[in-house]
Amino acid sequence: MFELATHVPNLKKLKEYDLSAYDALYLGDFTCPLYPGNFGSTIEALREGVRAVKAMGKKCYLSLYAIPKDSDLPWIKVLVEESGDLPLDGIEVHSMGLLRIVREMRDDIPIHIGVFGNLYTDETARVLKGYGVERVFSNAELSLEEILYIKDHTPIQVILPLHGKIPLVISATCFLTEYTKTAPAHCEEGCAQGHWLTHEDWQMKNIGRANLSGKDLCLLEYLDLLIRQGLDTFYIHTLGEDPHYVKTVGGIYREALQRAMAVEEFCTPHWLAELQSLAPLGLCNGYSFGMSGQDYISRELELQGTRS
Amino acid sequence: MSKLMAPGGTMQMAYSVLEEGADAVYVGVLGWSRRGSDVELKDEEIKDLVAFAETKGKEVRVVLNTMPSSMEVPLLLKKVDRYIGWGVSGFMISDVGCMVQVRKHFPEIAIHVSVGTGLTNAEDVKYYKDMGATYVILPYRMWLDDVKAIKRTIDVGLEIFLFRTDTQGGIICPGKCTMSSYFRFKRWVDDEGKDYFYGSANRGGDCLRICQIGWEVATDGQPLSKRAILKGNPRLWFHELTDYIKAGVEYFKVPGRDRSDVLVRDIVRFYRKVVDEIRASQDRFSPEKYLPELEELKKRWATERNRRDDRLVARAKA
Repeated sequence: MFELATHVPNLKKLKEYDLSAYDALYLGDFTCPLYPGNFGSTIEALREGVRAVKAMGKKCYLSLYAIPKDSDLPWIKVLVEESGDLPLDGIEVHSMGLLRIVREMRDDIPIHIGVFGNLYTDETARVLKGYGVERVFSNAELSLEEILYIKDHTPIQVILPLHGKIPLVISATCFLTEYTKTAPAHCEEGCAQGHWLTHEDWQMKNIGRANLSGKDLCLLEYLDLLIRQGLDTFYIHTLGEDPHYVKTVGGIYREALQRAMAVEEFCTPHWLAELQSLAPLGLCNGYSFGMSGQDYISRELELQGTRS
Repeated sequence: MSKLMAPGGTMQMAYSVLEEGADAVYVGVLGWSRRGSDVELKDEEIKDLVAFAETKGKEVRVVLNTMPSSMEVPLLLKKVDRYIGWGVSGFMISDVGCMVQVRKHFPEIAIHVSVGTGLTNAEDVKYYKDMGATYVILPYRMWLDDVKAIKRTIDVGLEIFLFRTDTQGGIICPGKCTMSSYFRFKRWVDDEGKDYFYGSANRGGDCLRICQIGWEVATDGQPLSKRAILKGNPRLWFHELTDYIKAGVEYFKVPGRDRSDVLVRDIVRFYRKVVDEIRASQDRFSPEKYLPELEELKKRWATERNRRDDRLVARAKA
């Protein structure tokens, strides 16, 4: 058995997306508290979202704003307080201050550390465990070897991203607003457009308060290795993606994971081609193999000792 | 009493800032301090510097603020032990696990929590205090009101950069950014076992200043008209220094390990003069007469920064 998870920012997306491939959903856009109807800022939306996710028979985690200022803490505390009667399976934080707050307010719920939580070492994972952290999303810069080391040397669960645009940096203000000098009339639509940053052959995607990798992380070719290493909690990055992407990528990985677990062929040329077609700037392995995040090593080429 | 902490990017710089009146000098260890090897010191150099500082009654702070691999943590602790044996009394650290281990093994040592943690609020500061912090280095987006609020509620020392941005805009740096290593990342391991992770300031090497390149912006294939810089550059400041001193800030930190020895020496000379006059004149301090000198230093700072950025970006593209 495995868990495949992703983030869903608000009710509108929850209704739009076909989420049948996913076992668990992180409710909230951790990059921007102003995202319309953000589950991570709006208790009414969160209540309805949790109800809907539970009705789907899925696990449901609340994802909190990643870089709160002091002025954000009061409303986040209210949200955490008001979510006390919801059947949440966990709360995700990226800030150590929020970790402290959530632990004080809710000692009954598992805490997850998000991708901007700066988790690099097993020593830190052990310290976090003492604060009620059950699951960590290690920093994007860690190699698979380093991630596995943490999994194997701590009593903490590691969630591994398999696919999607890697969150590279977060901002306290909206790039789109600053760049155009006007706040978008409809944030959701503004963020849904593809904003691309290009410098010569380098590219990133901007989603307002975060820059993502231009290329899509893709570990499809390596699923058997990951499973053999005992990993069983996986994630797809879908922030800023459309419903087709969320459905297709999730569907491919769900089936591929099932096949890999059954020791069947799991990486078909058709699926790889489909993932490539959804990634206009190409695929990468992130930092999995100790190289620059944007590099891609094909399994086949690696076996031949060649890097693409 | 507030102290002036200055950089030692080279041995020459370290000696000169102490001679110019810095109360403490901070030096990066090769491979361990978020900068390139050219502005980090070898262990023997650190040993010599500690001996020199001791004769002057000054402090040396050793910067070990990269996020190590799990496998590198024992090496970090071994190095801390070695430096303490030489007389080092404090360290800058980012990784929470390392912080806790250093505090456990060396209860008396000063731990400065690095901005590499990416902290953004007073609750974060509380957390690091719980983890054993003696001082927390505030990012240059946290200003006087933040300092006052922290000092009111948390019993922890504060360290403030003498450079800052004037707005809250732009990306969060350092501590929440991996853009540089996404594009360029080289790894090599030294004789002691430290991986240099070149291209990732978080992990050991330089940040290659990807944010300072002019980025073309396009929306769904339609190019927009101007080029974007993703982050503003902080500037030297001193206008509210009196208030920060009154608020009880323990360390004022001169930046610039990767600037020239001469510029850093002049900046330290300037701030020493200013801080001493603030102390002597108390509420009668008048900053106006120092403005021309500050403006001149800011210009030299910007010139050297641009040169450095060009050099690092060229390395990223190489």
